[in-house]
Amino acid sequence: MVGEKHHSPTTFLVRKAVIATMTADIPLGLKKKGLQLLQLVRPLLGGIVGLFLVYRLYVVLIVEHPYGPDTWTRLLIAGIILGGVYSLIAIGYTLVYGILFMINFAHGDVMMIGAFSGYFIFEAFNALKVGLDGKSNFLNSQPIISIIIAFIVGMTVAALTGYFLEKIAYRPLRKAPRLVPLISAIGASIFLENAVELLFSPQLRNYTNPDILRRGAGWTLVINHSNVIIPYTGVFSFVLSAVLLVILYTIVRKTRLGRAMRAVALDKKTAALMGVDVDQTISQTFILSGALAGAAGVMYGIHNGLVYYYTGFIPGIKAFTAAVLGGIGNIPGAMLGGMFLGVIESMGPAALGIDFQLKDVLAFVILILVLIFKPSGLLGESLAEEKV
Amino acid sequence: MKKTMKVVFVLTVAALLFAGCAPAATATQAPAATTAAPAATAAAAATAAPEAVCKTDPFGCAVFGPGDTVKIGMGAPMTGGDASYGIDISQGATIAIADASDVKGWKFALDAEDDLGTAEGGAAVANKFVSDQSIVAVAGHIFSGATAAAVPIYVKAGIPMLSPSATNPALTNPGSTVFNRIAFTDTEQGTAAADYLFTKLNVKNLALIHDGSDYGKGLADIVAAQFTKDGGTVAVEQAITPGETDYTAVLSAVSSKKPDALFFGGYTAEGAIICNQMKQTGLDKAIFFGDDGTYGADFLTRTGANGEGAYASIAPASPDTAAKDAFNTAYQTQFGKAPGTLSPYTWAGYDAAAALASVVKTVAFVGSDGKLYVPRSAMVDGVRHLTNYVGLSGTFTCQSNGECNTAAPQFVVVKAGAWVPAAQQ
Repeated sequence: MVGEKHHSPTTFLVRKAVIATMTADIPLGLKKKGLQLLQLVRPLLGGIVGLFLVYRLYVVLIVEHPYGPDTWTRLLIAGIILGGVYSLIAIGYTLVYGILFMINFAHGDVMMIGAFSGYFIFEAFNALKVGLDGKSNFLNSQPIISIIIAFIVGMTVAALTGYFLEKIAYRPLRKAPRLVPLISAIGASIFLENAVELLFSPQLRNYTNPDILRRGAGWTLVINHSNVIIPYTGVFSFVLSAVLLVILYTIVRKTRLGRAMRAVALDKKTAALMGVDVDQTISQTFILSGALAGAAGVMYGIHNGLVYYYTGFIPGIKAFTAAVLGGIGNIPGAMLGGMFLGVIESMGPAALGIDFQLKDVLAFVILILVLIFKPSGLLGESLAEEKV
Repeated sequence: MKKTMKVVFVLTVAALLFAGCAPAATATQAPAATTAAPAATAAAAATAAPEAVCKTDPFGCAVFGPGDTVKIGMGAPMTGGDASYGIDISQGATIAIADASDVKGWKFALDAEDDLGTAEGGAAVANKFVSDQSIVAVAGHIFSGATAAAVPIYVKAGIPMLSPSATNPALTNPGSTVFNRIAFTDTEQGTAAADYLFTKLNVKNLALIHDGSDYGKGLADIVAAQFTKDGGTVAVEQAITPGETDYTAVLSAVSSKKPDALFFGGYTAEGAIICNQMKQTGLDKAIFFGDDGTYGADFLTRTGANGEGAYASIAPASPDTAAKDAFNTAYQTQFGKAPGTLSPYTWAGYDAAAALASVVKTVAFVGSDGKLYVPRSAMVDGVRHLTNYVGLSGTFTCQSNGECNTAAPQFVVVKAGAWVPAAQQ
C-alpha cells in the first residue's frame, strides 16, 4: 500500500480482512449494505459496553456502596503499586517492539532472573555476620548498601541475560519472516524458565527483606475509623519505578544512545546510512530493557516476597497488555498503560461488583475493547516504518 | 534391485518398531497352559490354577516374573508451593514399603510421581500408572482435586486406591468401586470447624475465602452452611486464584465487612500469603482459620510472626504404640525431621501403603509356572473390605462407599511459632 505510513499491523490486518470479505463474490447492492452495516458495528458495540459500564458503576457505587472510603483507598494503593511494576516491565516490551517490531516474550523471564539474583544477594547478606558480637548480619546493619547492591546485581544479571538473548535467539533471525523471531522468543522463554527450575529447584523462595523494609509494615492512615496501611515496600517500589522511568526518558531524549535508538526505530536503513551502528544500538536497547526488567524483578521480590521459576510469566503477559494498551512503541504510553492496568485490576472488580477471581478477565477484556475502538492504543503507536 | 532394497528397509524398520513396542513385562492375559501341566498336576492342584482366576477376572492379573518388583503408586505434589505434603507422605509410605519388604519373594517398591496437586496432573499420573502393569494399587492421590480426576481412569483399569489425605466428600458420594480413603471427610472437618468457630471462639461474623479447587471450595461451602445453621452470619465468601502472590485487593474487600474471623479453604501456598497480608488490609483483628491443607512447618516459616494465633485442623491423635514409636524413630533417622511437621498425614501415608501391601500379600499367589499373579478384582475387593486394620493413625474398617475412617479432626493453633493443640470443645 504505497503512501501509507505508520499504520499498525492490527489495523492493517483488520482492514485487509474486511476488504477481502467485501470483495468476495457478492452482488453490488448487498455489498454496499454490508459495508454500511459493518460501519455501524463499532459504535454500536461501544454504546452497549459504555451503557453496561455506566449501569454497573451506578448500581455498585450509588445504590449499593458496599465499601467505605478506607477500602477504596486500600485498593487504590494496591493498584498504584502494581501499576508501577507493570510500567517498568511494559517499557521493556515497548522499547524492543518499537525498534525490532517483535514481541520479546522472554521479557517476563528476564524479570524473573533479576528477582532471583536479588534473592541470592539478600540471602548472602543475611548470612554474613558482622559486628563484634557476631549477632547482627550485614543485611540489617547496612540495609541501604545491601539494597543498592541487590538492585545493581539484579539489573546487571538481567541486562546480560537480555544481551545474550538478543545475540543468540534474535539476531540470527533478523532477516526471517516476522513470525520466526516470535517463536524463537517463546522458545527462549521456555528455556529460561526450565533452566532456572533445574538449576535452583522448583520450590518457592522467600525474600528476606532488611528490617527497615519489612513486608506488611508501613505508615498508617486512619480513614473512617479503620487503619489503612501504606506499605513501605510499596512506596519504595513506586518511587523507584518513577525514578527509573525518568532516567530512561532522559536517556531516550537527551543522550546519543537515545537518539540512535529513536533513529533506528524510525528508519533502520537511513540510520545506518547516517553512521549509526544498528547492531550495537539494538544490543544496547536489549541491555537497557533487561536492566529495567531486572529492577522490576527485585522490586517484585521485595514487595511480594515469593519467587520461583514461573513468577515472570503472568506479570510478563500483563505488562505486554499494558504496553499495547498505552500504544506499543510509545514510552509514555507504556507508563500510562501500566498504571491504568494496575489500577483497573485492583479497583475494577470492586467497582463493577464482580468476583475478584475475574480480575484477569477484566484486564484482558479491557485490552480487547481498546484494540477494537482505538487499535493504536491510548496514546497512539510509534513504530518502525520498515519491518525487520 | 531398488525395489527389493526398499522392501527390506521397510521390513527392518517395521521389525524394529514392533520389537520396541512389545511390552517389557509379560502381558496381562492369562498365560497359555504350560506343557508341564500333566506332569505337575499335583503342584498345579496345590497352587490356585492361574488360568481360571485370571480368565474370570474382568481386569485380568498383574503378572510378575522372577526379579520383577511389585509396585504401589502414589500421586502427590512433589514440587511447587505445596510440595511439603507430597514429600512428607511419600516418605512415610517409603518406610511402610521397606517394612512390608516382599510378597512371596517379590520385592515391593513405591512409585511416587508428581501430580502437582492439580486435576490435570492427577489425570496425567493416573494415565501413566495404568499403562505400567506392575502397579497393583495406588496409595493416593494426596490432593482431592487430583484424586477426582484420577478416579475414572483407575476405575477403567481396575486399580484400587487408598488415599491417606483426600478429604473432599464428593469422592465417596457417589463413590466408585476403586476409591477408598483413611482420611476424614470435609463434611466432618467443615462441620466441626464451623461449630468450633461459633461456640468455642465466639465468632459471629465469618468471612470465607477459598481457592476454587474441589477441596477448598467444597470445604468453604460446608463451613458456610453449618455456620449459618449454627446461627452465625456469613459476611462474605470470596474466591482467589491460586498461584499469585498478592491478594490485598480481595482481602481489602473482605475487611470492609469487618469479620471476626477469616476461614480459608485451600493449601499452604496461598494460606501463608493471605495470613501475611491480613494485617496490612485491615484484618489484623480477625482470626485466621485454616484447614488440614494449611498445617505444617512451611506455614510457620512463611508466616513467621504473622502466623501467631492461626488455626488449622489435623487428624485426631492416635494412641502411642510400640509400632508408632518405631516409625517415629525410623522417620527421624532417615529424613532428619519428626513425622507430622511437614504435613499432618505422615502416619496416614505409612498406613495407606502398609494396608495396600498387606492386601497384596493376601490376594497374590504363585502360579504353577513360578510367576507371581495378582488378580486385580481381588485387589479392588480386598481394599474395599479392609476390616479392623490397625494402623499407626487409627483402626480402619472400610464401608461400601469407600470411607474407612469416621473420626473427626482436631484443631491446632500457632503459639510462639509452633503448632500446639487448641482448646477442644
